[in-house]
Amino acid sequence: MSRKGPIPILRVGNVLLTTIHIDLQDTIAAAFQEDVLTEIEKTGAHGIVVDISGLDEVDTHVARILAETGAMARLMGTRAVLVGMRPEVAATLVRMGYAMGAIETALDVDDGLRLLGGRPKG
Amino acid sequence: MARLGFDERELQSRRAIFELHDEDLQRLTAIRAIAERHMAEVVDGFYALLLGHPGTRRFLTDDAQVARLKRTQSAYFLQLFDGRCDLPYVENRIRVGAVHERIGLAPKWYIAAYRRYLALLLERVVLDIPDRAEALAAYQSLKKIVAFDMSIAIDTYIAANLESLGRHQAAIRELSTPVIRVHERLLLLPLVGAIDSQRAQQVMEMVLVRVIEEKARAIIIDIAGVPVVDTKVADHLLKTTAAVKLIGAQTILTGISAQVARTIVQLGVDISSMHTLARLSEGIELGLELVGKRIAPKEPS
Repeated sequence: MSRKGPIPILRVGNVLLTTIHIDLQDTIAAAFQEDVLTEIEKTGAHGIVVDISGLDEVDTHVARILAETGAMARLMGTRAVLVGMRPEVAATLVRMGYAMGAIETALDVDDGLRLLGGRPKG
Repeated sequence: MARLGFDERELQSRRAIFELHDEDLQRLTAIRAIAERHMAEVVDGFYALLLGHPGTRRFLTDDAQVARLKRTQSAYFLQLFDGRCDLPYVENRIRVGAVHERIGLAPKWYIAAYRRYLALLLERVVLDIPDRAEALAAYQSLKKIVAFDMSIAIDTYIAANLESLGRHQAAIRELSTPVIRVHERLLLLPLVGAIDSQRAQQVMEMVLVRVIEEKARAIIIDIAGVPVVDTKVADHLLKTTAAVKLIGAQTILTGISAQVARTIVQLGVDISSMHTLARLSEGIELGLELVGKRIAPKEPS
């Protein structure tokens, strides 16, 4: 495993799953983005679920990295779903006028996987 | 005391406003003996005022109660001459104010009673001080401490009123965003009444929290009861929709009248990111579709 950053990326069937549990500072953010793209290249996963339920705060910088990573994944034919955003985080981002572009979202990991067809409908 | 934000600093600053200095307190202690001699007359004269008016007489139901209150009043009277004006003193005054507020005695009685109190103090106590200059100084000091007391009593009234106002506002806030669970993972928020920025903010927060709580896939916001939908309201709704999307759910906007549709288009607001429908029933159908359910006619049996 040639992971560069501290954030693990798991493979669940044909889908990737990653939980961001630490602050995405500059170097970590860059490493995370590269890890995600490398993993997509390697596995050819058709989707990735990014869980941010562990983040109390998401500033526009982090939000931009997440949105960009999603857009990059989409260019490679992989759907990216952002899940678990906390209400106060969503309210703050919207108040700052940052709606994260066209990234797909879901309530939690379960819903995210279901959205990508990684799980039976329920 | 905490409710009034009364601490040592406030005490000092208030004493400064009323020019209630240590010399004043000492002056009052010096005439304590004279005051004690006339205590009964002052207290009796004070209750004569209260018993003489229907507005205050209704609080004084029987003789035993009046006797008890007179004893409390005597204690209060003597405290004026204790030469102390510290936090325990203030706490005592706040308690007195709170009791009167609770029984519903209007502040005008308070002020009127204090006026009579001062008059009695002047007639009975101050005029009994042999030296004229001393008597005048003592009267000034008395006026200071009585005005100080009065300010605390009025503050207590205001604080109590603000508190009940706050409770009512909280109740209204809660009533103004009733998020209802229509079906598993489908919520409904019927908005009624005008939406200002503060309420819009609160609507957004409530919606987000409830969506998470109920793990909702979609929330229907019905605006049939909102009288005016202008650019601002539309913007608030758009923001809420964006935030709901960020946490992974969808918003359906229903109750859009012809008038509102016209306004929104004429204002040039782009609400294409929302599902919009005229009727709530259609919104519920769409919402159910989003959670994978559908309303079907009952099989003929």
